[in-house]
Amino acid sequence: MSRSISDSDLVSTFAHLGIDRDSAAHYAGRLEHLLLINRCGECSTYHHPPRPMCAKCWSTDVAATEVTGNGVIDLLIFLHQGPQAPGVDYSTPYPVASVALDEQAGLRFTATVIGSPNEEIAIGQRVTLDWFDRAGVPTPAFRLVGGAA
Amino acid sequence: MSTSSRNPMKDLVAFAGAATTGFSAHNTDRTPLSLAAEACSKLLRECGLKASDIDGICGPSSVSAGDLQNTLGIPELTWWSNPPIPFVNQVIQAASAVHAGVCDTVLVYHVPYRHAFFTASALRDPFRRVMPAIAPGGNPDTMWGPIGYTAWASRYIHDYNVPKERFGLVAINDRSNAQDNPGAAMREPMTMDDYMSARMVRWPLCLLDMDVPVDGADAFIITTTERARDLPFSPVMINAAVLGMVDANVEDQTVSLEHHGHHVVAKALKAKSDFWIDDIDVYFPYDGFTIITLNWLENIGFCGRGEAGDFLAANWDAEKNRILINGRIPVNPHGGALSEGGTQGSGHIREAIHQLQGRAGVRQVANARRTLVTAGGFFYNAQGLALHRD
Ligand SMILES: [Zn+2]
Repeated sequence: MSRSISDSDLVSTFAHLGIDRDSAAHYAGRLEHLLLINRCGECSTYHHPPRPMCAKCWSTDVAATEVTGNGVIDLLIFLHQGPQAPGVDYSTPYPVASVALDEQAGLRFTATVIGSPNEEIAIGQRVTLDWFDRAGVPTPAFRLVGGAA
Repeated sequence: MSTSSRNPMKDLVAFAGAATTGFSAHNTDRTPLSLAAEACSKLLRECGLKASDIDGICGPSSVSAGDLQNTLGIPELTWWSNPPIPFVNQVIQAASAVHAGVCDTVLVYHVPYRHAFFTASALRDPFRRVMPAIAPGGNPDTMWGPIGYTAWASRYIHDYNVPKERFGLVAINDRSNAQDNPGAAMREPMTMDDYMSARMVRWPLCLLDMDVPVDGADAFIITTTERARDLPFSPVMINAAVLGMVDANVEDQTVSLEHHGHHVVAKALKAKSDFWIDDIDVYFPYDGFTIITLNWLENIGFCGRGEAGDFLAANWDAEKNRILINGRIPVNPHGGALSEGGTQGSGHIREAIHQLQGRAGVRQVANARRTLVTAGGFFYNAQGLALHRD
């Protein structure tokens, strides 16, 4: 796949997230504000994190495919402490949510939640995808949809 | 998939003994190798074994088998391995090597250590800072590893409306038990107020929901049951041992708390062993996080989904402020990972052996003959061990 960024620059941008050749397309998508999730070209099943093969049919025809990022919060925590990251000081507990994506039952993507006070964020709420910059790198996040659930 | 009951190793391999350095929740001025060598040499002396009696070594990758062999002057090995923890993995590999005849007598060890990743105070020790990192850093947007337990604890509370005090019973049980264990790192009594007011780390789990990073070591001898009968302590036979993992084993992709590694372990261990939860005298569920213990109680069959907290309250020994299942079965009598120290299962197995050998001192469960150790967590490290004596 052709990319506008060199492998070397891509790896150095996402080294702290454990990028490898199987996840490179997903991370390259972030630079374009695209949430790309691996999807099987044979049976259309999505999976995440990116693997080199479809677990359902063993096809290697898997491609990072854009998803809407719309879904429902399935798992939710608030970090009162955590790893050093630009712009995160944990003095306000930092929300992390695993969101069940609308594209496929059981398919989840994990990111922070922005744009709402912590008290308003809860399991079961609908969210949509948004992006923010962390140290200049586009980073996916979720935003609550339509106020209270 | 059908669960196999095939178990040709059953009762033919045994623990001959176990020993520990005891554990400290502060940085010691000791290396992991120094702690391992202390526990191992102590155990070899107790068992009346010479260095030349050992022909196998197995422990975690943090102390290589070769370094330990060299340190203890064990002249020749025909087998060694340094597989990943938790510790039932070391047990299964060593027992399998003995059963296969690759070696006869294995020195098995574990060294829980306050690696710089775990705590800020460990990070202040320059010798610990230069040790290889064991976990990724710099990304808060993940449910990776330990964070995944917090995520599923949150979901458990949401789904079953479980009050946080129910989690506290797991922590208080461990702390009450640790008061009888001189080797435990945390022995001060803990009240429910202490638990509920502990510092929040990752909501909804607080400091006292998480195991204590410690320095220390455990050592074990695994050999044939026949050979163990010639040694000073009664053999503790491995009746069955399994690991368990499902395909959806990534933390944030786990299907639910009703479908993960625990369920594979429960099914396979039950199929391969000769006894089950009603037959045991003491129980060792893993407690690296309080949620793991609650979920083990449900997954192994003591109670239904979401009922573990109520089960603990109904099986609470008010006099000793601890769990006593059916008025009879203590749980983690050594203090577990939350109070003896985070041993990744080695402390649970060491205490199981001491209980079955009648060597548990003031903690001794009268006539303890059978136990289950259900180690590890949900995602990629669930494990089970059925142990008994004659
Ligand atoms: Zn497929």
